[in-house]
Order: sequence, then structure tokens, then C-alpha cells
Amino acid sequence: MDEPTATFEFIGLTFDWTTILSTLLASAIVVLVAWLLTRHLSVRPGKKQNAIEYLLDFTNNIVGGQLSKSQARTFGLYAFTLFFFIIVANEMGLLLQIKFGDVTYIKSPTADPVVTMTLAIMSLMVAHGTGVKELGFGGYIKNMLFKPYAWMLPLNIIEQLANFLTLSLRLFGNIFAGEMLLTLVANSLAWPGHFNGFWSVVALPIEMIWQGFSLFIGAIQAYVFVILTGVFIAQLSGDE
Amino acid sequence: MLETTILASVPLGSMLFVLIAFLLLMWVLSKVAYGPLMNILDQRADKISSDLDGAETARQQAEELASKRQGELANARNEATKVVADAKASAQKQSDVLVSQASDRAQAINSQAEVEAQKLKDDAISSAKNDVAALSVAIASKLMQKELSLNDQQALIDAYISDLEKSE
Repeated sequence: MDEPTATFEFIGLTFDWTTILSTLLASAIVVLVAWLLTRHLSVRPGKKQNAIEYLLDFTNNIVGGQLSKSQARTFGLYAFTLFFFIIVANEMGLLLQIKFGDVTYIKSPTADPVVTMTLAIMSLMVAHGTGVKELGFGGYIKNMLFKPYAWMLPLNIIEQLANFLTLSLRLFGNIFAGEMLLTLVANSLAWPGHFNGFWSVVALPIEMIWQGFSLFIGAIQAYVFVILTGVFIAQLSGDE
Repeated sequence: MLETTILASVPLGSMLFVLIAFLLLMWVLSKVAYGPLMNILDQRADKISSDLDGAETARQQAEELASKRQGELANARNEATKVVADAKASAQKQSDVLVSQASDRAQAINSQAEVEAQKLKDDAISSAKNDVAALSVAIASKLMQKELSLNDQQALIDAYISDLEKSE
């Protein structure tokens, strides 16, 4: 986390080039893939349409499993975008990392705690907003802090804070650790001083195995993030 | 002072950027993928349910039609049997009539022929009697080389006949 970064200031706010570029690239990939897969939509789906329909079905099922039918319909787009973005962001850094000097400009945006915290804040805001909308402000406070018993207030406050931390740091930790280990193994593989045949033979399969595992972890974490978002929305709007 | 350093160390701009990027992405996806796809999915669901309904009504119609046809077939079979039986009966009746007519006619022809034959026989017998008398006279006159009148010689003939009766 104490990697060198390139930042700039704009209207008093700090912007990080790595975050901006990586997020933009991930978004661009998402849009490109979605655009390519939805070229010729028809009631009778082709191969490409089947692929993206599978994805949409998957996210619809995630929210559909936790929310009422009308709510699931409302959050379908949110879950779809969230899953699509996070999974692309998670896997992106495994395929592509671009470094100029000491600064890595392109990597997984979700390997940056700032991005995962932003996503977590956004998801929780959606969940809290839905709670207020469904129960009214009083009902929302009561449901969030005084259920099942009023004396559980301190625990409930801790739970809400923990929700934010677990949601954001789980995603960040998994992706960051995966990429860091990948970088370590790759560096040792190509480390000029240490380069020798034996170490390459050992490191290459490790690198490949770890890449495969990270792909798997990336998909799981995207799924977990969306499912937890659904859980929080359901919890805060009172139906558990 | 501590507060400002913490705030400054948090790249709020990046967070804002990520948030806006995500919302933009959501909007673009809703236009490009989510909206059209959900549209298609709804269309498909509608189509499937309407197809199922259509199949159900079509099946019912087919069943109705089949039972109707079955009834019609049975009806037609019954009718055909009846027609054949009727035809047989009427043919029998007609043939009976024809046969009895023919036998009546034959009877009539037979009896008429008998009557005619009797009459012919009677005629023949009477004409033969007359002929015998005439022939006898003719033969006798030829034998006597003389014209004999039947009436003139009647007494002579009778005398001969009575002579013959006496000599016996």
C-alpha cells in the first residue's frame, strides 16, 4: 500500500492517476464487452446473447434470492453493473499491469482500498436509502438499531460499521493479496540477479497456478460483494 | 490539523471519480445491455406463456374435434348399415312382387291356352263330322257314277242301313 503513486489536485480534491486510469479502463472493457455481446438481440438468442443473458440471469438470481420481486426488479441493473464491473476489475490486473517508472498506472482498480471503499459506501448508501424509503425514517432507525431488542443498540452500531469495513476490505484484501503475490513470484522469476534455470522451472508453474486461483478468487469476490449488497438491502428494509 | 491531514491523505477526488464513473457505467449499461436484454427477456417470457396458452387451447380444440369426428364416424357407420339394410329389404320386396306378378301372368297364359286348345279341339271335331258326311256322299256318288242328292237318297240309305241291321 505504500507503493509510489502519482496524484494531482483539482478543486481542492486529491485524484490518483492509477485509480482513475484503472477504473476508466475497467469501465471501458465492461462497456465494450456488453456492447459486443448485445449486437443482434432477438427473442431466439445466439451464442453471444446467450453469454450475456447468462450473466444477467446470474445477477438477477442473486438479488431475486434475497429481495421481493419488485425490489429485485429495481436493483437488477445495479447488481448487474456491480457484478460486471467488479469481476472485470478483479481479473484485469491479472492480465495487465502497466508501470511507468515506479508508478503502476494500470492494475486492478479493486486492489486499491479507495475504490473498494467507494463501492462499499455506494452499496451501503443504496441499502440505507432503500431502508428509509421502505420503512420511513423512524421505522428505518428502529429496524436498524433496535432490533431484535432495544438493548442491542451498541452491537447494532458496531455491526453497521463492521458491514462497511468487511464489505470493502474483503474485496480489497483478496484482490490486493492475489496481485501482490503474483508480482512477487513474477519478479523473482525475472529478477536479473537471481535468474537461473532452476528457479524459473519452479516459479513458472507456481505463477500459473496462482493466476488461475486468482481468477477464481476474483469471480468469487465479485459474487460475494453483490450478494452482500443484496443482504444489506434486505436487512435494512426490514425483511430478513 | 489532524483532521485536515487525514482528509488530505484520503483521495476524495478519486472516490468521487470512481462513484461518478460507476454511475455513468450503470447508465451506459442500462442503455446498451440491461434495458434491451430485460426487454428481450420479458418478450420471451410473454411469448412462452402465450405459446403455452395457445398450445393448451389448440390441444383442447383438437380433442373436441377428435371426439366430434368420432361421433360423426359412428353416425355415418350406423347410417351406412341402415342404408344397406333398407336397400336389401326393398330389393327383397321388389323381387317378391316381380316373382308373384310373373307367376300370376304365367297362370293366366296357361289357362287361356287351355281354353283355346279346347275350342280348337271342338271345332276340329265338328268340322270333321261334317266333312265325313260330305265325303261319304261324294264317294258314294262317285261310285254310282251318278249325281245323287243327299236328300233324295236319304230314304235309300236308311233302307240299306235297316237291311244291314235285319241280316244280322
